[in-house]
Amino acid sequence: MDIKAYISSGIIESYVLGLASEEEVSILNCIRKNNVEVEQAIAEAEKTLEDLADIQAMTMPASLKQDIWNRLNAENLVAPDGSSEGQENGLDNNTERLVSNAQGNKTLHLKSYRWAIAASVLLVLSVGVNVLFYRQTNEVKDQLTQTNLSFDQQQANLAILQDKWRLVQNPAIKTIPLKGVENKPNLQALVFWDQVSKTVYLSLEQMPTAPKGKQYQLWAMVDGKPVNAGVFPLDAKTDGASKMLDIPKAQAFAITLEDEGGKDVPTLSELCVMGGI
Amino acid sequence: MSPLHNLPEETLILLLKKKNQQAFSYLYDNYSEALYGVVCRIVTSAEHAEEVIQDVFVKVWKHVDLFDAEKGRLYTWMINIARNTALDYRKSKAVLNEQKNQPLSNIVNSKEELDQTQIEQNVKADFIGFRNILDKLRPEWRILIEMAYYEGYTQQEIAEQLDVPLGTVKTRTRAAFLQLQQLLKEYR
Repeated sequence: MDIKAYISSGIIESYVLGLASEEEVSILNCIRKNNVEVEQAIAEAEKTLEDLADIQAMTMPASLKQDIWNRLNAENLVAPDGSSEGQENGLDNNTERLVSNAQGNKTLHLKSYRWAIAASVLLVLSVGVNVLFYRQTNEVKDQLTQTNLSFDQQQANLAILQDKWRLVQNPAIKTIPLKGVENKPNLQALVFWDQVSKTVYLSLEQMPTAPKGKQYQLWAMVDGKPVNAGVFPLDAKTDGASKMLDIPKAQAFAITLEDEGGKDVPTLSELCVMGGI
Repeated sequence: MSPLHNLPEETLILLLKKKNQQAFSYLYDNYSEALYGVVCRIVTSAEHAEEVIQDVFVKVWKHVDLFDAEKGRLYTWMINIARNTALDYRKSKAVLNEQKNQPLSNIVNSKEELDQTQIEQNVKADFIGFRNILDKLRPEWRILIEMAYYEGYTQQEIAEQLDVPLGTVKTRTRAAFLQLQQLLKEYR
């Protein structure tokens, strides 16, 4: 739209005179919001009529002031603040006070505004802190879960150790350390052998987890011959003591790594550890 | 004589919303004469004008909460209330009947006659300055302001009556405003 043409069409003066149609007014209200020139032209036209009214001002009969005030009172349009005596003498003071009151209100508004800003800032901070706390809470929860998990593991380990300890403490049990053979010097296992019940327990102290498809098998050397003492259970805890086959008599124990399920005869090339009694 | 208007409009609005006597005093002392001047230009007898100006104050007082600062200035808003109240009063039957007995009833037919009778009816000292200002306008512009502003004709009616195109009425009204604005500046 050509704003200059719009302004010079006289539409603004029509509007200010209250003569514009409803449609023209709604268009104008739309334009004035987005156009400073139009807004300015409206203000100028209004100012012209205001200045005209100033110049044409006419003295009023003195009694009218009280008459109008009485009428406002009669129609209950006055705030009940007790200032019912119309004292002209204090008017200047009153006005001054009112102006400062009114400005006080303004400051109050400004203050409210500031409070609103402060409240907004606090809200944002609060939301931020909440998010932070939420995250921290989650972290703590995770840590707690981790701790619980590790506690459970410790408990399990403790149980295993206690089991072993019981075995070691038992005077009937003979503990036989099995040591790594020449090419596997770091390996180590323990056999707990109950001399009374002949029960054999095996604990793989330092043995790698058996590769897939393989299983550790315990052998009892009885009079120079290997006797199957059972395979180490695949599902057993590696550092726990697992019950093997009962061995009534043996001079030594040895472990070989065999195919899953074990064999009747040990594969000597797969000998891992051994220990004599 | 000239209104003080020494309070910013927003302060005045706050003041008016208090609805107490101080607010009324301030409003009255600063605006009543200007609003009364508007009323007197439209309602042609002093007696009626006094009645109308009371209604104007009651309306301003009552409806100040409805005033929307987004859509204009408070002073303009009050002037429009004064103007509309006076125009309504003039249109009301009682006044029309009364006016029938006066030469004023011919306003529709003779603008010049109306101007003359109005001058006679409003023989007040303050009126002279105002007359002078409007008289300085080009006559074909001045009549538009008087018909539209003080007599409440629509621009369509003015166009028909003066036998000029509506567009011309509008552009001339604007021209009248611009000249008036200039004259008011010089007057100050």
